[in-house]
Amino acid sequence: MDSPPLIRDEEVFLRMNLAERVQHWLLISTFFFLIVTGLPLFFYDVKFFKWLLPTGRSFYVRGVIHRIAAVLMIANLIAHLLYTALTRRGRDNLKEMFPRWQDVKDAVGLFGYNVGLTHFLSKRGIGSKFFRKHPFWLFEKHPLYGRYNFVEKFEYWALGWGTFVMIFSGFFMWNVELSLRLFPLWVHDIFIIIHGYEAILAFLAVIIWHMYNVHLSPEVFPMSKVWLNGKITGKELRLLHPLEYEQTLEDRRKTLSAEAL
Amino acid sequence: MTGAKARRSLRLTMAAAIIVFLSLSALAQTDEDCLTCHEDKDLKSEAGKSMSVDRAEFQGSVHGQAGISCLDCHSDLRKVTDFPHISPLKPVSCGQCHETAFQQFERSIHQAANKKGTSGITIGCKDCHGTHGIKPQDDFDSPTFAINLPATCEKCHLERVPSKKGAGFIGGYNRSAHFKALEKSGLTMSANCSHCHGSHDIKSVDDPLSFVSRKNIIKTCGTCHVGIQRGYLEGVHGIDYVKGIKDVPVCTDCHNEHDILSPEDINSKVYSTKVAQVCSRCHDDIALSRQYGFLTSRLKTYNESFHGTAARFGETRVANCASCHGFHDIRASADPKSSINKENLPATCGKCHPGASRHFAEGSIHSAPEQIETAKYRTSHVVKNVYIFIIAGIIVVMVIFIAADFLRRILRKENHG
Repeated sequence: MDSPPLIRDEEVFLRMNLAERVQHWLLISTFFFLIVTGLPLFFYDVKFFKWLLPTGRSFYVRGVIHRIAAVLMIANLIAHLLYTALTRRGRDNLKEMFPRWQDVKDAVGLFGYNVGLTHFLSKRGIGSKFFRKHPFWLFEKHPLYGRYNFVEKFEYWALGWGTFVMIFSGFFMWNVELSLRLFPLWVHDIFIIIHGYEAILAFLAVIIWHMYNVHLSPEVFPMSKVWLNGKITGKELRLLHPLEYEQTLEDRRKTLSAEAL
Repeated sequence: MTGAKARRSLRLTMAAAIIVFLSLSALAQTDEDCLTCHEDKDLKSEAGKSMSVDRAEFQGSVHGQAGISCLDCHSDLRKVTDFPHISPLKPVSCGQCHETAFQQFERSIHQAANKKGTSGITIGCKDCHGTHGIKPQDDFDSPTFAINLPATCEKCHLERVPSKKGAGFIGGYNRSAHFKALEKSGLTMSANCSHCHGSHDIKSVDDPLSFVSRKNIIKTCGTCHVGIQRGYLEGVHGIDYVKGIKDVPVCTDCHNEHDILSPEDINSKVYSTKVAQVCSRCHDDIALSRQYGFLTSRLKTYNESFHGTAARFGETRVANCASCHGFHDIRASADPKSSINKENLPATCGKCHPGASRHFAEGSIHSAPEQIETAKYRTSHVVKNVYIFIIAGIIVVMVIFIAADFLRRILRKENHG
């Protein structure tokens, strides 16, 4: 068929609409402020934080900013939950976001493909019988993703879990007197530990995992602009989200044939 | 006795009396006689030293007022007949009248230094009290008047005769709360040099008889700070101090010696945010903790807590050691009167955390995990270790995963699709 392709490479697709981008921007800024105002408590010996907070007054202001950022982040979370529940696009996204068995296979598949050990072995004729029976373990091809790949799903649900833990423990740290009316001191101590270490985990995960996937990865280097304009091209859709691409193509074909009828 | 003999002896006696009277009137100059020459403002000795005496100054002095004459002090002039008399005269000995002060001075560090003679400085009564114009001690102009005394001592001790503890050690007094009270508010009962060191009988701090020796310092400070002395002696430190344990802190160990500042002063060693350093000097000392059986890691565990972290950043409205443990009358937690006794913890924590319940006592406040006896109080440490393990695991997996992805893309120069 020589008619123009159903999805042109230059065609623009909306990956993140404005509401989603605003949610993401708010998340970035509140996360940033929470980290900057929270880390000094964890790394109280670091000179940089001593420089950042030279007086007792600034230390107090740090606490106020931390709480403001926390409230904003919670507000953002509520907005996100409402958006997800109440809009069609939100519900669609959530459906796409649910983790599946395929995601585990994708993760293993990508790692295996990246390392290339089994590919190397099978070329040498080692374990060819096993690989004939279980071609998955050959990792011949890069896994194909839908709208959200396992990397993004992992981030999303890790963020969800982390936010829950931080809100829960942070609430009781904010209200020490209430916390100690309900729990003994040793339980309150656990809240403090959890809040600190969960923050470290979140911070490292963002710095390492998220920054690689949206900045450093040669796929998007120096930066994926989706978070700014929300757009990806037809080519990017085809390359990065081939299953979604196929789905869109299929949908369009159906519409076309329906029209033709 | 015959009449002739009696007459002769009477004559002789009268003659002798006349001679004595005449000679005395010739010898015993009045103060007026002395001032005839010495009032001259330009009168100088051969060595060029001023020999002038201010009439008004002398007459207004405590001695002048009491009718003491020049010769009472300069007694070697009594025998002099030739004027102008030879100079110099012998140094005046105040001890003739001021016997107690003289004897005290004889045993003082000042006199010891005079006798040793190595410093090149001789110090006597006049160096502190002045000479002809000596005023009573409660006179505003007296160099030994409470407000003026520090400057008098500092004439020598600021620079010429520094302390063993180095230059500036003594001058630190001028920054102290004591000096401020003295200078700014004129509170003459505020400690000046002599309140702590004594006056005529000043002794070296190493001398057990010194008022500021370890043995006496509590009593010395307690002269004014009576309530604090009492509290201190009731607390753990005081109890051990009385036993003669020399590692126990006395007043000066926490408050400094000369530059004792108000605890509200940010430079004070016992300023809210700095107390922890003062206490941990001993309470984080492993040797001391072994010797006396107390727990270490006090500073570390305090710093890790919100209280300690906030204090390190200069926040004053958080608990420091003293907020919970008290300061002068610190008691062992087993003592029912201790502020950190389990029964009293709700009240102690309640000072800052209104409505503090018994729950405040159900946990370990700053203890290293191995020091905690109740197993469930260690849970937070277990959680912490689990977290560290999980974080390390996740980060390692992430890094390996990313490294594999990055290297494949770089080395094979391929993108999927």
